[in-house]
Formats: sequence, C-alpha cells, structure tokens
Amino acid sequence: MSIKNQLGRAGIAALAVAAVAATAVLGFSSAAQAQVEVPLVESGSSLLYPLFNLWVEGYTSVNPNANITTTSTGSGAGIAQAINGLINIGASDAYMSDSQVKAHPTMLSIPLAISSQAINYNIPGVTKLNLSGPILAGIYTGKITMWNDPAIAAANPGVALPAHVIVPVHRLDGSGDTFIFSQYLADSDPTWASTLKFGTTVSWPAISGELGAKGNAGMLAAAAANPYSVAYIGISYAGKVASAGLGQAALLDKNGEYVLPTPENIQAAANSVANSTPPDERISMIFSPGTNAYPIVNYEYAIVDSNQPAVAVAGAVRDFLTFCVTQGNAASYLKQVNFLPLPAPVLTLTEAQIAKIQ
Amino acid sequence: MKLGPFRLSVLALALLIPASLVAIVLFLMVYSLPVFKFSGLHFFTDINWNFGDTEDDPVMTRGMLVPGGASYGILVFIAGTILSSAIAIIIAVPLSIGAAIFLAEAVPPKIRPALSMLVELVAVVPSIVFGLWGIWVLIPFIGHYLSPTGNGYGLLAASVVLALMITPIIATTLLDALMQVPKENRESAFALGATHFEVVSKAMMPMVRATLIGGIVLALGRALGETMAVAMVSGGGVNILPTSIFSPISSIASFIVNNLDSSQGDSTNMSVYAIAAVALVLFLITLAVNAAAKLLSSGALHVRKRQH
Repeated sequence: MSIKNQLGRAGIAALAVAAVAATAVLGFSSAAQAQVEVPLVESGSSLLYPLFNLWVEGYTSVNPNANITTTSTGSGAGIAQAINGLINIGASDAYMSDSQVKAHPTMLSIPLAISSQAINYNIPGVTKLNLSGPILAGIYTGKITMWNDPAIAAANPGVALPAHVIVPVHRLDGSGDTFIFSQYLADSDPTWASTLKFGTTVSWPAISGELGAKGNAGMLAAAAANPYSVAYIGISYAGKVASAGLGQAALLDKNGEYVLPTPENIQAAANSVANSTPPDERISMIFSPGTNAYPIVNYEYAIVDSNQPAVAVAGAVRDFLTFCVTQGNAASYLKQVNFLPLPAPVLTLTEAQIAKIQ
Repeated sequence: MKLGPFRLSVLALALLIPASLVAIVLFLMVYSLPVFKFSGLHFFTDINWNFGDTEDDPVMTRGMLVPGGASYGILVFIAGTILSSAIAIIIAVPLSIGAAIFLAEAVPPKIRPALSMLVELVAVVPSIVFGLWGIWVLIPFIGHYLSPTGNGYGLLAASVVLALMITPIIATTLLDALMQVPKENRESAFALGATHFEVVSKAMMPMVRATLIGGIVLALGRALGETMAVAMVSGGGVNILPTSIFSPISSIASFIVNNLDSSQGDSTNMSVYAIAAVALVLFLITLAVNAAAKLLSSGALHVRKRQH
C-alpha cells in the first residue's frame, strides 16, 4: 500500500517535472523560431573545419540571426551523420562513393572549394626533387627502398641523391588526404590500381622502415623528425611545412611534365575538368589532363540530404551554402587555408545542386 | 523489508551502473557477431587488416555481403598491445619499487608527504601531454642515439611513455602498503641485527608482495587500454609484426581511434562491426586483467589480517 502510494507520488512528481521541462523547451523553441533562424549543425572534415568557422563568422556578421554550430569529426563521420539526418551539413574531403549514392539516392555531394596536397620530403642536401605516381607507388609498396634508386635518379638528372633508405610516412587515421594520395597512385600506376585501390584508409603493405602518423600535424612532425622521409601533407599546412624545412616535390602530370603545387598549377587542374564535371559533381580531379595541371587536386564537399525535414531548415541550409560558394569563395577566406575558389562552370552546377535542397 | 522512496531511488541508481555495463557488452556482442561469423578464428590469428574496397559495390564473400578484399585480422594489434604493456611493466616495476622504498624508508617523515604527492601528481598528467612529450623529446632522442635506422617511433617509445604513466600507480600502491607494515616487525628485524637493506628486503617486502602484484596488474590494465599517447608515438605499424623494439606497432585502442572515421564510409556496415569486434577483444582483455587485480589485492588484505 505505502509502496504503491509513494511510487504513485514519485511518478506524479516525475511527470510534473517532465511537463515543465517540455513546456520550457517547446516554449523556448517556438519563441526562438519567431526571431532567430533555424539552428544548423555542420560536422565532418577536420581540414574544412577552420574554413567553416571563418564562413560562419562571416555569414553571422551579415546575417546576425544565424545559428550554426560547427564540429570537427572527420569526413567519414560527416557523411554518415548527414545520411542519418543527425546533422544538416556533412563536410567531406571526398565525394560520396557510388555504393553510398546507390544506397542513399537523395544525398548530394556539393563542392565548396578546391584543395590540394603536397608531397613533402626531408632529404639532407637535396632542395629540388621530381617524383611520379609510379615512383611513389614503388616507395609505398617497398619496391623502391633507396633514394638513389635508378627510377628516382632518372626523374632527377643532375641531383645528387643519397644512398640512403627511404622512410615512407603515411596517415594512421582515416583521412581525405590518404584518399586523394592513393587515388593519384591508383590513377597513375596500374599495379596499385589493381591491388591497393584507394580509400580514406589503405591497407598499407608491410615495409620495415615505414611510419604511420596521426593527422597532418603528426605527418609534419614525423617527416621533420626523420631524415630521408617522404610524406603527403594537405596544402593548408604548406606554411608550417616550409618553416619546418621540408622540401616540396614536383609531381609528374598527365602530360609528362613535373609540376609544383602552385596556385596556378592547382587552378589549371581544376579548369581542365571544369567543363566535363557532371551535374552531381562527383568527379575526381586527380591526375587530370591539362597543361601544367598539378595531379593531386580535389574538391572539398558539403554532403547534404536534398530531402530536408522542414521548409525552414532547407531554406537556411541553401542560404548558408550559397554564401559559402559566393562571398565565402573570396581570397580573404580561402587564402588562410591555401584553398582556391570554384571555377565559374562548377559554381553554376553547385548552385543548381544547392537549389535542389528542399 | 520496507521499500521506501529513498531505498527505491538509491536501488535504481545502483542498478544503473551494472545495467550500463550489460548494455555495453550486449551492444558490442551484437555488433561484432557478423565479423566473427565472417572471419572465425582468423580474426585472432591473421596479421592482415583491410577494410576492403569501400568505394566500389560490395561483393558476396563466404555468404556475406562485404567490401571487396575485406579481411579482418588483429594479431598485429594484440601483439602491439601486449608487447608495449609488458615492456612498460618491465621498466616501471624496478622504478616504482625503488621510489616507494625511498619514500618509505630514506626520506625524513617531514618531507615525505610533499615528495609522495609529487609522485601522485605524475599519475594525473593527461595522457595527451605524455604523448606530446614523447613526440618532441623522446622520439628525437631514440632516433638520434638508440635506433639503428634513425627512426624513433615504435615499440620502445610507446613502452617508455606507458612506463612513465604507470610508475606512479605502482609506486603509490606499494608506498601505502609499506607504510602499513607494523612498526614491531620492522623494529624487531633491526633488533636482530639486520642491516637496513635486509630489513626492507627480508622483513618488509615479503609482507607487501601481494599488494605489489595487485598494483602491477592494476597498472597493466591502465597500460593495455591507453589510447592517445600510444597512438601518437607508436608509429602505427599495420600488416606487419614487430621484429625489434624499434619496430612501429599499433595497439588495439590506438587502432580503434585511428580507424573509426574510415569505418563509417562502408555501405555494408561491416567495417563498423569489425571495429566493434576489436573493441570487444580489448574490453575482455582489460576486464580479465582488472578482475585479476581485484582478486590479488583482496588476497593482500587477508595476509595482513592474519599477521596481526
């Protein structure tokens, strides 16, 4: 009897608390909707995270009611959470794979800016180095182990290459940088294409001298600490890489020229595929044709469900993404992370995709 | 028994803790089942880990839809975890015994609390700080002076960082036990003409042996599960077993945190299940170690009671 009474009393108390809380939340959100815009959540790529923070700051300054939260969780998490509807905008260094698009046909991959990747080396006494996809594939599979290997020497006439073992450094954690690096090797080396393929994680072949490092910062630290190493590092780290004394390799492009990741060469790669970009904009810019087109260049993507739960949410997402690819593509934003703006034909496609968000 | 609201609410709160444990175990088991079905015992004996081609369409392999070329073998990570923890224990035990005996026997009682607090403070340094120290100080040191290849990342670096993290755990456990050795035992040993060394080694250490073992196993539990510091300095060897103390390794915990993101790009979800299976293995290892620690340190208590 007394147990039942007391339980009942506790239950009523709990219900009352819940009711008060619910009223408070509902009351707050309906009041909020009247004045403030729908809250948006962006999550994903750690490479895009600093840029999204700049964009949100800029967007909020012209649109003071905006309410956008940014988080850095990784590209894979960004895509998965956007698919599950946990967030509004997933940020990813790679477009959604064919199998993901087949499974979730309403998801859009929308390019926001252009990024690229440098191949950096730490070879005492060497300040200029040419590398190619097949050479890098040889290094990362253990077929090329010495810096004075004939294949490297042939690509670097007149450079005194040391007779020293190469230390290849790769990313330990899943990364868009591993994705575009392995895609370059797959596109330029048939053996790599048939065995290791490409992805945000690669099952690296066992090489006794190789190293894994966590994040771009870890790659930089590992390459700087290990003479005779080679590493792939996102272009947003170019400043820190240069001050650490690492060299930047020129890579063999599709036309047989060795090109450096300068803004002109990256833009050349983007321009060369701009007109052949399909309407869903899922295209690789890796190893693209075009004069002086740097081979490791990629779009940074927003992964968004075209089928939003509410009209107001869809409007807020469209408005913010439009800001990102227009005012947000200005050099004042992009140069802080060494990204480049979308070429005009791609911007048109991107705006068409943004318009699909309903 | 009267079940008042106080009793009931406290009971509910108390049940929450074992309930959450059961929920975690159930979740891990349900998630990892497809992987054990797919890989069987090869999950533990293979050295190759490959998420497979998650970009392309999945293929039917052994009756299950998985990314092409997927294979899940965790022997490399088990080896990395056990080796790094074992070497850490080998480094940490003599250090901790020396530190505890010094604090219990050789330090004037007035400054003992200050010094033992310093040792305890090492235990609260966040693991990321140890990891940073490892990257900027320890790894260049190993690379320049010890490693034949000039590479500092690997088993030794991970073990040294782990040893530093667990030394205070063992040292403080042992110090507490040494301080509880009855004054009579210590003084009678002196009265019998034993040297200070003999008093410590023959009269005191045997009484605290069980506590020492309990402390070591507790520290082992911490070392096995350590994630961040190991991920930063281990060099992350995959698909290859370590051949020397300078070889890059991966521990189970650091492997999980590094591959969490990539696992989510798999449309079959098999990669997520594989990560859950790895987590289940780590969970079972640390559970066994901590249960052993509990058992051994409760044994220590009985020994002391009988001595009185």
